[in-house]
Amino acid sequence: MHAARNIALCTKDCVCLFVCPTGATDTENGQIDFSKCLSGCRLCVDACPSHAIYLVSSNYPKPQKKETEVKDSLFDLAASKVKQESMAKALASESDDPVFRQLCKSVAMSNHIMAEDCYREAGYILPQSDAVRSLLKDLLAKEEGKADFPADAVRKLLEKL
Amino acid sequence: MEDDMREMTHGELAAMCTNLQKACSKQLRSEEAQLFGLLAAFYEEGREKQEGCGYQDLLDTINEDLASGYQRANAVASKNQDRGSLRALVWGEKVSKLLKSLLVRYEKQKNSLLDGTNVYVCEICGFVYVGEQPPAICPICKVPSFKIQAVQKEAI
Repeated sequence: MHAARNIALCTKDCVCLFVCPTGATDTENGQIDFSKCLSGCRLCVDACPSHAIYLVSSNYPKPQKKETEVKDSLFDLAASKVKQESMAKALASESDDPVFRQLCKSVAMSNHIMAEDCYREAGYILPQSDAVRSLLKDLLAKEEGKADFPADAVRKLLEKL
Repeated sequence: MEDDMREMTHGELAAMCTNLQKACSKQLRSEEAQLFGLLAAFYEEGREKQEGCGYQDLLDTINEDLASGYQRANAVASKNQDRGSLRALVWGEKVSKLLKSLLVRYEKQKNSLLDGTNVYVCEICGFVYVGEQPPAICPICKVPSFKIQAVQKEAI
């Protein structure tokens, strides 16, 4: 578990610099140096007067079990949202009216977000979960060798997650 | 033990991967986020095209979700007392109803509906807003307005 800074809340009181035993809070980019941060220390979290520092978990509890029928109905809805996204994109690309394209683009974005949310609740909320690992393995087995498939990215993800 | 994964289209995998990309960003895992971004871009490139579909086809698909998709999913999620899924379904159904009414209004008013005003999309739930300024908080998911993005009119 390491600390992180929400830069939108930080009011530069700099108490974190004062309390941090390792200097992890003193960086050029405004974010905490995770590699220097002591797991679970939380001195800066408690000291920050603007509540701009919080802890990020390294280990999450196992996701709650998703029943197959719940997962299926969410995947069905996501499929419909993705179809609508593709339709809206097609309508936009076939029109030369900037106002109609703006409408279609908004509808496409909206549907993409709804599809993502369905997957999130269908058991894909944590990238470190077994569900994501098995999805990545399936994709690698299926698409390996196909032109432009980023196989190295998938391997790296399996290594890092 | 994971049950067998069902076949997913490229478009579906694109949404799955951007979902995981965002999840990594939230955990400040920027390298993993970037890798999921690459994977999402690959599937977006291969997205199944819906060429030649009409405006009415789009409306019909929304109507189908509203008439049966949400009912089915809500019944199953209630039966299993799955609060997370019920939450997503509440947001999604509201957003879909608003999308439907927006598309119906556009059919009647055409470009006058959007001329001289702005269009915004909530990054969190997909709520679409037509007006000068977005609301201070999203009426559907209650996120503050800095998460509600303007969609530009693009000249060809």
